[in-house]
Amino acid sequence: MKRLFTILGMIAAILAVILSVLPLSNLAIFPAVAALLFVLIAFYLSKKSGQIKKIIQFTFLLAIISLAITTYKALFNTSKVTNNQELKEKEASSKKEAIKELEDLDLDDISIE
Amino acid sequence: MTRTLSIVLLVLSMSLHAQNNAVAAGEKLTYTASYNMSGILTELAQVTMETSTVKTSKATLLRLKCTASTYSKWDNFFKIVDLYESYVNPNNLIPYLYKRDINEGGYYKFMKYTYDHKTNTIKSLQRKKNNKEENKSFTIHSGTKDIVSTLYNIRLFDYKSMSIGSKKSFTIVFDREEVNAQITYLGKETIGTNIGKKECYKLAISSSDDVLQGKNNNLLWLTADENKIIVYGKFKIPVGTGELKLKSAEGLKN
Repeated sequence: MKRLFTILGMIAAILAVILSVLPLSNLAIFPAVAALLFVLIAFYLSKKSGQIKKIIQFTFLLAIISLAITTYKALFNTSKVTNNQELKEKEASSKKEAIKELEDLDLDDISIE
Repeated sequence: MTRTLSIVLLVLSMSLHAQNNAVAAGEKLTYTASYNMSGILTELAQVTMETSTVKTSKATLLRLKCTASTYSKWDNFFKIVDLYESYVNPNNLIPYLYKRDINEGGYYKFMKYTYDHKTNTIKSLQRKKNNKEENKSFTIHSGTKDIVSTLYNIRLFDYKSMSIGSKKSFTIVFDREEVNAQITYLGKETIGTNIGKKECYKLAISSSDDVLQGKNNNLLWLTADENKIIVYGKFKIPVGTGELKLKSAEGLKN
């Protein structure tokens, strides 16, 4: 039982760390909380048997790191569009083409000033 | 009889082509589009809606431009660079030229519609990644508009005179097919936005195809003033749910 919770906690903690460094960092909350729960159960069971393994402490550390990264990114990272050169070029060329196309249209009967 | 018919037609045409008192050149609305991932809203892209004047030798038209770009953090995974444009009559927002140039994670598509309102036809040009061009002409119903001019035309409706639950129908042409859509006025609601607390007209949108799912799952909040700008939107589409939030608004007419 103790081993099962330790393994589950380790898997969840690794997943949380991976997600926290990706743009999907918000989703790391779920595996991080699961990892904390598993590791606490494993810690409690280990304490009962009187032998606490280093891996439980390490898993706990990983879960805390992922939660810290996720919280930091959620609070301080603002979403920005930095590389929009492609869009600007597209807009400019599209407008030029559009003016040519509109010149060819029959707009005489339309009362546009 | 003829006189009555003329009056009815005049009233009908006025309701179909309402005068533009809400949209002016120089307006820029910036939105944040978020997608719901496992119950957590994740900011995906920036959407802008911008207006400007375009002059030709014969006329001055209004250019309605909508762009969507993924936030830079997503660019290595899935990059979106979309440009939608509609060149319209500034007085009543009737479109003459529509262009759609999208690049979504490597999927490219270009679509152009040239309207002929005398014959109610559209000349379309479609281009895909392999540069294969496809020309097609098709007829449309009177009053059918593209998606961009429809988004702006929604702002011309007179919501003040509408009672709660009343509906307005319109036809949108998308991917060379006409789609019937309907908005239902759900009343006024005050919501907090990035430009302050605003009293809004709450609308439910539905369409004849399955793109917008559910009856009251697709909602729009328009400011209950003369500008009637979209400040908030909630959507349920086949791939999930999302929302559109106004980030900033510049150059409003009123």
